[in-house]
Amino acid sequence: MAGAQTDEAAEAVRGPAWDPVVRLTHWGIAAAVLLNGLLTEGGEAAHVWIGWAAFALLALRVVWGFAGPEEARFSAFPPSLSAARGHVSDVLAGRRRTHRSHDPLGALMTYALWSVLAVVVATGIAMEGGPFPEPGEAASVAFVSAATADEVGEEADDDHDEAGEGEEDEALEEVHEAAANLLLILAALHVAGVALESRRFGVNLVGPMIDGRRRGP
Amino acid sequence: MSRRAVRAAGRAGASGRPFALAALLVVQTLCAVFFAADVAADLSWNGLTLHAGFEAVVALALAVGVALGAVEMRRTLERSRRADAAAQAASGAFAALMEERFEAWGLTPAEAEVALFALKGLDVAEIAAVRGAAAGTVRAQLAKVYAKAGVSGRGQLVSSFIEALLDGPLPGARRAAGRPEAAG
Repeated sequence: MAGAQTDEAAEAVRGPAWDPVVRLTHWGIAAAVLLNGLLTEGGEAAHVWIGWAAFALLALRVVWGFAGPEEARFSAFPPSLSAARGHVSDVLAGRRRTHRSHDPLGALMTYALWSVLAVVVATGIAMEGGPFPEPGEAASVAFVSAATADEVGEEADDDHDEAGEGEEDEALEEVHEAAANLLLILAALHVAGVALESRRFGVNLVGPMIDGRRRGP
Repeated sequence: MSRRAVRAAGRAGASGRPFALAALLVVQTLCAVFFAADVAADLSWNGLTLHAGFEAVVALALAVGVALGAVEMRRTLERSRRADAAAQAASGAFAALMEERFEAWGLTPAEAEVALFALKGLDVAEIAAVRGAAAGTVRAQLAKVYAKAGVSGRGQLVSSFIEALLDGPLPGARRAAGRPEAAG
């Protein structure tokens, strides 16, 4: 009897074993954020496509938040400031409480990452339009080289028509860039948080996100 | 040790299919989003045309496919988790049966431990080494176990458990089998 209880406690301490959908969306979004934040240039076709892919992955994660297994559902990690405060005092006091999904602080980080990503995606889409630039569409001209734009006079005219919306575009770009930088900072904090919790519990919390298997303490 | 190995093997075998399903779900979602974006762009530039209308239906079908795929995926995951739990319950049921019998036979704690090692396939020398006892002591304890169990030796002792397992549902197994039904 006592053996079963300690066994259960050990399982809980090790944290959830993440399912394949959570793992694929997690690493897909992580890759997209790093690629678009650090490697590709804004306006580049690759940047736009990766942004759309990140949007799709986020959408799938949201669907999974309602349809997925228990630990992946939003109901398993509701955003709660008071719970997060409690978790901080747990950390400071060296208490180790177990959580069936994200811990309360991790849950807040998850929602913060998702909402900032949503802002980045929304402003990106507002600036660039769809992933398939239509001929004669102004947004596509923005990243076609100047020489090509000169050849197609009609498109150049479109570009001029858009000049009035320049201010709005600039504001969008500001928000897009600020949110993207915030996203990278939050991602760094997220990694630091995972490292801290892994050390506190003496378990590898990254492993279950890679292969879905729990690690022994 | 061996119980954990069995569990790990079961999990590895079951994890392949859910992963492939999940990858398919990701590709489906990518398609749905790209199609939906294309439809939105077409509608905003050219209004409702036959082409855009047809694409809208395709996008909608894809989106519904994603939702249904997600539900099917959850079911697959739950099924493989239930199988995992059943394997665990079966090994738990065996432990319960063993405990029950040892008690019915009136084994002392030391005899019960020796009997457990004998069931696990350790020979007298190994049991003696594990328990830090003399081989003679272990041999005497084993003889007492066989006498109390009414069997002639280790072979019959093991057989008596196999027989119980094959005979019908174990008391623990019945309890375990009732659990998923109650949950689902």
